[in-house]
Amino acid sequence: MKKYILLFLTMTSFLVLATECADYPIDEDGLLITDRAECYVSNFDLLGTDFQTVRTAAPAIDTTAQTINIEVFFGTDLKNLYPQFTLAQDAKLDPKITGKEDFSDLTNPKKWTVISGNRKVRKTYTVYVSVQQPS
Amino acid sequence: MKNIIINIAKYTLVVLMIVSCGEWEYSVPEVSPGLKNDCINHSLGPNVVGQYIEFAYAMAIKPEEGKLTTATVEASIAGAEGTYLDHKSYYTNGSGVNVGIEVGNASTTSGNKTTVTFTADTCAATLRYYYKIPEEARGKDVSFTFSASASNGEKVQYEMGPYKVREMDLKLDLIAKDGSTCYISIADMAVYDASAATSNPERIDLIYLHRSVPGVTFNHSIVSPTSEAQYKPGLELPPGLKNRSKLIKAWNIQDRQLARMQYGVFVDDVDLKNMNFNGAPDYIINMRPESGLWVETENGKYKAYIFINKADNAKKEITFSVKRLQVN
Repeated sequence: MKKYILLFLTMTSFLVLATECADYPIDEDGLLITDRAECYVSNFDLLGTDFQTVRTAAPAIDTTAQTINIEVFFGTDLKNLYPQFTLAQDAKLDPKITGKEDFSDLTNPKKWTVISGNRKVRKTYTVYVSVQQPS
Repeated sequence: MKNIIINIAKYTLVVLMIVSCGEWEYSVPEVSPGLKNDCINHSLGPNVVGQYIEFAYAMAIKPEEGKLTTATVEASIAGAEGTYLDHKSYYTNGSGVNVGIEVGNASTTSGNKTTVTFTADTCAATLRYYYKIPEEARGKDVSFTFSASASNGEKVQYEMGPYKVREMDLKLDLIAKDGSTCYISIADMAVYDASAATSNPERIDLIYLHRSVPGVTFNHSIVSPTSEAQYKPGLELPPGLKNRSKLIKAWNIQDRQLARMQYGVFVDDVDLKNMNFNGAPDYIINMRPESGLWVETENGKYKAYIFINKADNAKKEITFSVKRLQVN
């Protein structure tokens, strides 16, 4: 009986170790390429130069149409905004966000591509910004 | 054999316990003879002209050797009017309040030297020194020599510094009021009414206004004279105002010297100097208490940080404080 328990424990340990040490490849950004195929934006925000949100309400994210509609406060400086994306697990964004972005050209909305964890699915989201107006 | 080993181990343990538990008699450390002194810098943040650098200077001598006679501070650059060495020695009472006991005459200043002559029969005191930074020290280093003398003829001294005095200016608690003193000059660090603004339009960099606009949050706003009409509704500008100041909105920068609050944040010369205003707008709406804004004047001569101390919706006014650096 003792022998079987020992054998069982050894095998379990071996399996755990094998799982833990799964060797995922690394992409050009030093990020792990995993098995996940999920590819979507789960949340989006815009921050002003004071690092406070400028959105008037939660953004409307359409993962089918791949659009994000967001309204910002009246008087927001659209030329100097920090976009913040929340993505599906292991996904990444292209182009990368490295600082402030200019959203002032409302007729040419900005686009970002979400790339899945396995780097095989790419979805381009368009960000439509509108400004709150006096009533 | 086994029993012998166990017994030896037991005895060793007992001996070790007795040795380790030996009682150590505490005795008050013996003070070496002579007059002693020590000093700490009590102030935080950048040293700005018109502000104080504070020190606490402690001196003591054994009672049987003598008593304190004088305490003197010599600054490398004479302090501005308001510099003094406190003639009280403080202790903290049970409620945590500092209580001052007069130990000498009010300090006298002659040139660079500030002196307190002791009148109390005391052999130990800690005096506070308040150095008001003069205009002559702007951008320079300033150092201090603290010295004390005792009735037995002994003298000691303690060097402090050098401390760098910043280039910036600081102005506290300016009040801008919608429709009256709403014209702000960074060059003068002052607020003006319409008639004064008309006389010196080139000196007006900003305008404060308070509006309630349906459907949006406008409230307390600061704009340049050149800003779009939608950001200054109902405002009739005095003639000649045409400066386009660049503004950057800020939050969580409660500069300790401007806010006088608990936060350990300081805006320094280097922060103003390095602030990049490329692409910055000429208006900011909906300013709240404890918010701030970075400003660059039209001619690029000044960069400033404005902190909103108070914003009163009913009176339609703000109280603000400014740090300003001349960069060109």
